[in-house]
Amino acid sequence: MDKPAEMSQKDYVEDGQNKLIIKCKFCGSKILDKKSAKYIMQEKELPFMQQDTRKGGEVQIETINQFYHVENMYTFENIGFTHTVANHKYLSCADCYAGPLGYYEIDTKHSYVALTRVEHC
Amino acid sequence: MAKTYDYLFKLLLIGDSGVGKTSILFRFSEDAFNISFISTIGIDFKIRTIDLDGKKVKLQIWDTAGQERFRTITTAYYRGSMGIMLVYDVTNEKSFENIKNWIRNIEENASADVEKMILGNKCDLDAKRQVSKERGEQLAIEYQIKFVETSAKDSLNVEYAFYTLARDIKAKMEKKQEASNPPGARSGAHQLRANEQQRKPTSWLSRCSVL
Ligand SMILES: Nc1nc2c(ncn2[C@@H]2O[C@H](COP(=O)(O)OP(=O)(O)OP(=O)(O)O)[C@@H](O)[C@H]2O)c(=O)[nH]1
Ligand SMILES: [Mg+2]
Ligand SMILES: [Zn+2]
Repeated sequence: MDKPAEMSQKDYVEDGQNKLIIKCKFCGSKILDKKSAKYIMQEKELPFMQQDTRKGGEVQIETINQFYHVENMYTFENIGFTHTVANHKYLSCADCYAGPLGYYEIDTKHSYVALTRVEHC
Repeated sequence: MAKTYDYLFKLLLIGDSGVGKTSILFRFSEDAFNISFISTIGIDFKIRTIDLDGKKVKLQIWDTAGQERFRTITTAYYRGSMGIMLVYDVTNEKSFENIKNWIRNIEENASADVEKMILGNKCDLDAKRQVSKERGEQLAIEYQIKFVETSAKDSLNVEYAFYTLARDIKAKMEKKQEASNPPGARSGAHQLRANEQQRKPTSWLSRCSVL
């Protein structure tokens, strides 16, 4: 059985890559062309897109385990990179600030987009 | 993986604090209650893909932080940038006067052939205007730089400005290619690789430490 937050692979992945075009859930900005990123499974914590400010300064996070792996940042159609936090930058929609949609690793220069945080079209 | 684009241009937004650089880079939002995680960290740069006369062009656009002053922006900051948007606020005389200082700073630190464009932002605020459109145009003529008034709030001329700057860079590049290569023996992808090699040492790690 899939965990609730997990998405069915066969609907989104073909030949190990994203089968569909990836867009922003909120404004529809195009993020990745179809078949431009590798599907990978890895456990990674990401801050929630909306932070509840009533809970003080602590960042609320969730564990995500399905990502699209993008080796070259110029593969993205449209994407924003935040300032560096620890060893990475967070990815955001290039048009509406929505995010983190994933993260960028400073050391490897690779990017990872969370499947659950984007729209597949 | 094969290259999926024809050109890659690095652009920079520069100008006094509060003129609207970040608002120009992103879709304008006055919703102060929508405190997203991203807006608290702030955006460093973004990648946008546009179509210019049938060519796929990737723009890497860098915002500059508010505290930054022209005195502190140095060569390392400008390195690799091919286009610069000089932004002032039409409701702020000082920000307009400072454009000259920004231009001087660019001349001292950026590559000599960097394309520039002047943006007079917040043109929706006509009642508060301190700088007339004519003065903006005059300044642009003086420096032979393109000029347009924009409103990040109304999305007025923002797209136009980026397309114009990108098109000017592309034209300049194609001219250079033609001058240095016999026709037929060249390709856009070729040129691109050469540029990327050049840009390598400016890993944006080193850039980040400057910021
Ligand atoms: N009316 C109006 N307000 C604008 C416009 N562009 C920006 N603003 C407002 O001007 C203020 C400053 O905008 P920013 O985009 O943060 O300015 P900035 O140049 O990034 O400032 P720093 O990051 O401090 O350098 C914000 O309150 C914006 O909402 C515009 O076109 N029209
Ligand atoms: Mg800003
Ligand atoms: Zn969006």
